[in-house]
Amino acid sequence: MRRLLPLLLLLLGTALPAAAAPAPASNAFPYTLHTDTLPNGLTVVRVPYPSRGIIAYVTVVRVGSRNEVEPGRTGFAHFFEHMMFKGTKTHPEGDRERILGNFGYDDNAFTTDDITLYYSYGPTAGLPQLIEIEADRFRNLEYSEPSFQTEALAVLGEYHKNAAAPFLKMEEELNAAAFTRHTYQHTTMGFYKDIQAMPQAYDYSRTFFERWYTPDNTLLFIIGDFDDAKVMELVRQHYGPWDRKAAQVSVPAEPPQKGPRTAHIDWPQPTQPRQVIAWRTPGAGTSPADAAIQTLLVDYLAGPTSPAYKTLVLDKQLVESIGSDYSEHRDPHLFTLTATLKDERHRDTVRKTLLQEVSRLAAGRVDAARLKAIQDHARYGALMALETPRDVGIQLGWYAGVTGSPDGFQRHLQSLPKVTPAQLSDFTKRYLTANKLILLSLTPKTDAQGGTK
Amino acid sequence: MKTRALMSLTALLGLAGCATTPKPPPDENAPPPAVPAQAAAPEPAPRPARPEAVPATPLRQPKPMEQVVLARPDSPIVSFRLVFHTGSVDDPKGKEGLTALTAQLMAEGGTQKLTASQLLEALYPMAAELDVFVDKEFTTFSGRVHKDFLTRFQDIFTDVLLAPRLDAAELERLRANAISDVENGLRSANDEALGKVALDALLYQGHPYAHFTGGTVQGLKAITLDDVKAHAQHVFTQDRLVIGLAGAVDDALAQALSSRLSALPAKGAPRVELPAVPTTAGRTVIIQKPTLSTAVSMGFVSTIRRGDPDFFPVAFAMSNLGEHRQSIGVLFTELREKRGLNYGDYAYAEHFIESPGTTYNRTNIARTQQDLSLWIRPVVPTNGVFATRGAVFFLDQMVKEGIPQERFELMRGFLQGYTRLWEQTDQRRLGYAIDGLFYGTPDFLEQYRQAMSKMTPQSVQEALRRRVQPEALNFAFVTEDAEGLAQALRSGAPSPITYASPKPEELLTQDQSISSSKLPLRPEAIQVIPAQQFMEK
Repeated sequence: MRRLLPLLLLLLGTALPAAAAPAPASNAFPYTLHTDTLPNGLTVVRVPYPSRGIIAYVTVVRVGSRNEVEPGRTGFAHFFEHMMFKGTKTHPEGDRERILGNFGYDDNAFTTDDITLYYSYGPTAGLPQLIEIEADRFRNLEYSEPSFQTEALAVLGEYHKNAAAPFLKMEEELNAAAFTRHTYQHTTMGFYKDIQAMPQAYDYSRTFFERWYTPDNTLLFIIGDFDDAKVMELVRQHYGPWDRKAAQVSVPAEPPQKGPRTAHIDWPQPTQPRQVIAWRTPGAGTSPADAAIQTLLVDYLAGPTSPAYKTLVLDKQLVESIGSDYSEHRDPHLFTLTATLKDERHRDTVRKTLLQEVSRLAAGRVDAARLKAIQDHARYGALMALETPRDVGIQLGWYAGVTGSPDGFQRHLQSLPKVTPAQLSDFTKRYLTANKLILLSLTPKTDAQGGTK
Repeated sequence: MKTRALMSLTALLGLAGCATTPKPPPDENAPPPAVPAQAAAPEPAPRPARPEAVPATPLRQPKPMEQVVLARPDSPIVSFRLVFHTGSVDDPKGKEGLTALTAQLMAEGGTQKLTASQLLEALYPMAAELDVFVDKEFTTFSGRVHKDFLTRFQDIFTDVLLAPRLDAAELERLRANAISDVENGLRSANDEALGKVALDALLYQGHPYAHFTGGTVQGLKAITLDDVKAHAQHVFTQDRLVIGLAGAVDDALAQALSSRLSALPAKGAPRVELPAVPTTAGRTVIIQKPTLSTAVSMGFVSTIRRGDPDFFPVAFAMSNLGEHRQSIGVLFTELREKRGLNYGDYAYAEHFIESPGTTYNRTNIARTQQDLSLWIRPVVPTNGVFATRGAVFFLDQMVKEGIPQERFELMRGFLQGYTRLWEQTDQRRLGYAIDGLFYGTPDFLEQYRQAMSKMTPQSVQEALRRRVQPEALNFAFVTEDAEGLAQALRSGAPSPITYASPKPEELLTQDQSISSSKLPLRPEAIQVIPAQQFMEK
């Protein structure tokens, strides 16, 4: 189930943000949120959506690999997400599949650095059963040690599947270079050795559940075509008695970076050389205004209408693609520019071209018309991307989880059109500096070329 | 190479429009059946077998520029879907990849009015989408735009087809990307996808489906700009086009679009005549490359496709084995959940290509000749043979014993709901409607739901017995120690599995049956190919 990282990246690739210039015909988020908080702290958001008998049911727990503070426990939030499908006393393993399966739900989840998001997408007719079975697992999850040990092997399989392409290794090396203390130093998948050791962590998994799967750390979104009063009655009935409180652990703060850093990967298979340029930047959880700026910066510096794209991709054809892996994080994380090179020989030229664009921006030379086009793109992009209840639920859940606010997504959309050329430039001058820079290079180097394996 | 075949007349008649008469085939090369050592159920009657070849019964041909319009006034978005009956089958020999490269150059390379860069700039503030996807027989240009920009977008979208720039520098850029997609993408970065393409190449050896849709390295290198220009004129033509429109559309828009597209050449090159596909069985290809794990695909060229009365029951049965990423599937439950072998295991009655951002099959990848396939996401190499045996075991069990009533009801409920998710976007609704024109299956999903309401476990099993033969499987593996795997497969030696955690006795007993079951592969028909040679030419 589960493990939707590739899907998420795809969603972000096309669906990302979006600006809400309040032009009446083109409101970037044309749906209404009805939000209540139960006495136990659970936030419940309903969104009417004309989906003709289909709903999306999205639960976001504000726990991700960021919360993995104990040594040896990296990757645990993601692994735990898998265990959330393993049953309770009332609904032992397999029961959920039978009950929800009967309605035809697409039932899945994914984990990021900051959140774990569960969704069920299917007929409104199954909503009463869904509410009951969801509340039951969040309150009363129970699974056996052998089942836990077996699922750990599925996670290992997931790692192996992802490890065939260079991206996982690149993320591992970049995070390790950027973070010396903060838990962002490991990826959501976790360190390989920790994944291999997961079967031994059964007791810890119980602690993890008690610590983080609590109503005050969770937000529920129901999007689609349903009777609001009946739904809320069922939600109160089934989630009301959930009474745990979230633990507090202290995530180590990352000390300021004092100088550029580099990392390199020799990739033991044929692939295109890659270059990543990264800077430590403010998080969306701590600085929403800066998150809007970074969202726009992605396209300003490396989007399909950027000068760098025109030069490097179209005119000189030195790279296959340029872009960014930036995504919103709760704590300060990274803003990145990425390039997939056609040839190792062009690495310096490509890096310099990208850095020149950054310098130009930092020097105050902002193309206001292009910024406006990016803001328009964001507004219409949001409208285009919210095509199904599931799309809406995942966007709402993602931003709510990262920002801690049920309307985090709309706030983000509203922030985008307000960003000015001066803010774009100021941010670049402040954060995309040489002292905060991390350069990651990847070179294909097979055994025959003396490469590492 | 053929499998044993005793085609019954009933089954033959079931092959709608089947053109050739299969011969009853003595087959000394036939692989042994995949019989689990302790298969419980007695074999009832002899099973009808497959024909020696799957004929190329042509798909239906809609009239030139036939329109499919699905208006949805509550949406502010307009979806365009132009589906051409052309794909990699139209690539000339030695220029494999020509259709894909031509389509890509049209979609990305600019128009006579706009350079590639100006095209991006024009689409950008609208957040308009303009994509192309090429499969074996179909090429789909899709576009989406907010109605605020309809006129502007329609001009650009039609110019892409009517007045593409076909610029030499853009051709070089996209050619380099396409070659890199083979050399670095296909061969290197996704073992599971590589396994699937390897299975295609094995099943359709010598057939126009055999090469990678994106082309071969040497084929792509041989393509000239003149080839591209001529090909565009030959295949993107009115007689090969179906026009789909959905969302905020009206008659005037539909009319205007048709009118503009009537500037396309009226008639395309003659259709490529697809040959019959020999129903090979028991062949194996192992792609050798450095990798942590082993990916497995298996399948056979199917005698059914949409429109055949057996399609729905067989599709139902394969969903029971495993829809992509649905934990309800038998393979997912047995191989992943109970045994922890990997990340998932799936099965499909027709060719499967994941639609980006979803777990659903793409639309408009219709094929004259279809294949049934199962795939095992990467497993640790020591479990490669066991996992393969496991998938064959559960397929075989389903064919022999049918689907138990309770399980049948569960899957019927599942698919009644789940199929509704397949049609939640305008592009997907258009896709199904257009596929329906070619397969002769109007209201396909509704027909599926109605067919399910009438199915019984018996009717499904009868269809399975007619059309699904585990002994007809062919296999593709991607692994590092190819020779070691080939040796293990040739030897037929048991492949026991051990677990780090306790397992129920029942499962361990079943494991013994699985690990000693005979795989339906022929030891002499195992081929090892280094990844670096795959799809070179």
